[in-house]
Amino acid sequence: MAGVFSLLRRLYLTLYNWTVFVGWAQVLFLAVRTLKESGHEHVYNSVEKPLLLAQTAAVLEILHGLVGLVRSPITATLPQIGSRLYVTWGILYSFPEIRTHFLVSSLVISWSITEIIRYSFFGTKEALGFAPSWLMWLRYSTFFLLYPTGISSEVGLIYFALPYIKKSEKYCVRMPNTWNFSFDYFYAAILVLGVYVPGSPHMYSYMLGQRKKALSKSKRE
Amino acid sequence: MKVTVVSRSGRELVKGGLELNDSASVADLQEAIYKRTKKFYPSRQRLTLPLPPGSKDRPIVLNYKKSLKDYCDGNSDNITVVFKDLGPQVSYRTLFFWEYLGPLILYPVFYFFPVYQYFGYKGERVIHPVQTYALCYWCFHYFKRIMETFFVHRFSHATSPLSNVFRNCAYYWTFGSYIAYYLNHPLYTPVSDLQMKIGFGFGLICQVANFYCHILLRNLRTPDGSGGYQIPRGFLFNIVTCANYTTEIYQWLGFTIATQTVAGYAFLVVAAMIMTNWALAKHRRLKKLFDGKDGRPKYPRRWVILPPFL
Repeated sequence: MAGVFSLLRRLYLTLYNWTVFVGWAQVLFLAVRTLKESGHEHVYNSVEKPLLLAQTAAVLEILHGLVGLVRSPITATLPQIGSRLYVTWGILYSFPEIRTHFLVSSLVISWSITEIIRYSFFGTKEALGFAPSWLMWLRYSTFFLLYPTGISSEVGLIYFALPYIKKSEKYCVRMPNTWNFSFDYFYAAILVLGVYVPGSPHMYSYMLGQRKKALSKSKRE
Repeated sequence: MKVTVVSRSGRELVKGGLELNDSASVADLQEAIYKRTKKFYPSRQRLTLPLPPGSKDRPIVLNYKKSLKDYCDGNSDNITVVFKDLGPQVSYRTLFFWEYLGPLILYPVFYFFPVYQYFGYKGERVIHPVQTYALCYWCFHYFKRIMETFFVHRFSHATSPLSNVFRNCAYYWTFGSYIAYYLNHPLYTPVSDLQMKIGFGFGLICQVANFYCHILLRNLRTPDGSGGYQIPRGFLFNIVTCANYTTEIYQWLGFTIATQTVAGYAFLVVAAMIMTNWALAKHRRLKKLFDGKDGRPKYPRRWVILPPFL
């Protein structure tokens, strides 16, 4: 019985990882093509569908961690996925005025290259039981460049969207109301920007630690 | 006897070791270590017996009241202890005082001073009766806590790490301000008179019950501060292990029913989660200590913290 579960798990995860891989590959392809043919203002429109799908699918990864399907600690996946979903739905989708900004291009290119490597790495590991050393090297080295470019794009887009957030009053709850509650999306966005200050070095050093562990382990094997 | 003091990495902390009386207590050892290292006062030291490498057991912590001989298994000329620095320590009384002082002082600031003009609300502010009652209830609650800290509680440990001061103050002061902001807001909407009376009434009853629980817990320990754990008995403790936490949670529930803010409910949920964690650990500890063997009483079947759920 245990063998069947383990096989099903491998099958499911292989399918999951390669499916999302295809989504991100589409994003990268469309982004680069649109950049060359039409310019950075049109990149969001061309990648919107696969981007929303592939990024939102990552919610499943929280589930995978919770039920124990994968080993990743939820403390690392939650902030990562949280920031991605916030920028994708809470900024880009919600405030169309920001979609023509050039940082959108650097954002989706950084994200898609990272995810293509990451999903193919896990997809290969689940399918074959191991991943080739060059793929492992890519997974644990490209973040040196792509984390800074990705994070800068995220922070930049949130910052440049602030005037539109303030003006639109979207997602704001005002008083008076029976629950004596209020929420200001503009100040919440500023708080999010604040969280990036300790959050980014934390995520970066987590990856550094993971890199050390993974590459030394493969040396020993 | 000769005592060798090593750090957890194996490095000798006190060069050449320490020479102590055969009848020396652990407290004497801690004093000696402090004299030699100058930096590590006794409450910063955690001394354990060395574990064989790879052992998964939890190390035995030396109790400061016991004599060193109790920890030597046969060879009473030599003993090795492993030292861990717990970091700068403050007394529990200091910690509790500072974390409770924040809510006590910050809440009235929102009630008495015209702070809301800085949030963009100009003009007169009408104060509803419930807001005045909430101020009294809130300040009484934290005043009670401070009084209990100095006159009622008997702590199992004398000190807590200094870093906890910053962490705990951030928690209490932030939540306190968050709730005070909404409760004293110029656009605050009161609930019905009946709901308010039921909420505050229930909350007050629970505060009195909570105080009685603290008295019962105090009487389980001796005044010389020797800590230790006993089976709590009497009043609600007969059915629930951590009746003090139970009454505290219900007391906040009463307050929040009377005042109805999302901020209040958020605080209630977080506080209940924190106390539930503590209650589970305490319940487990008591069950382990009082296992019914070797003449020890067996811990009775009781709810942990919130009947009928846990």
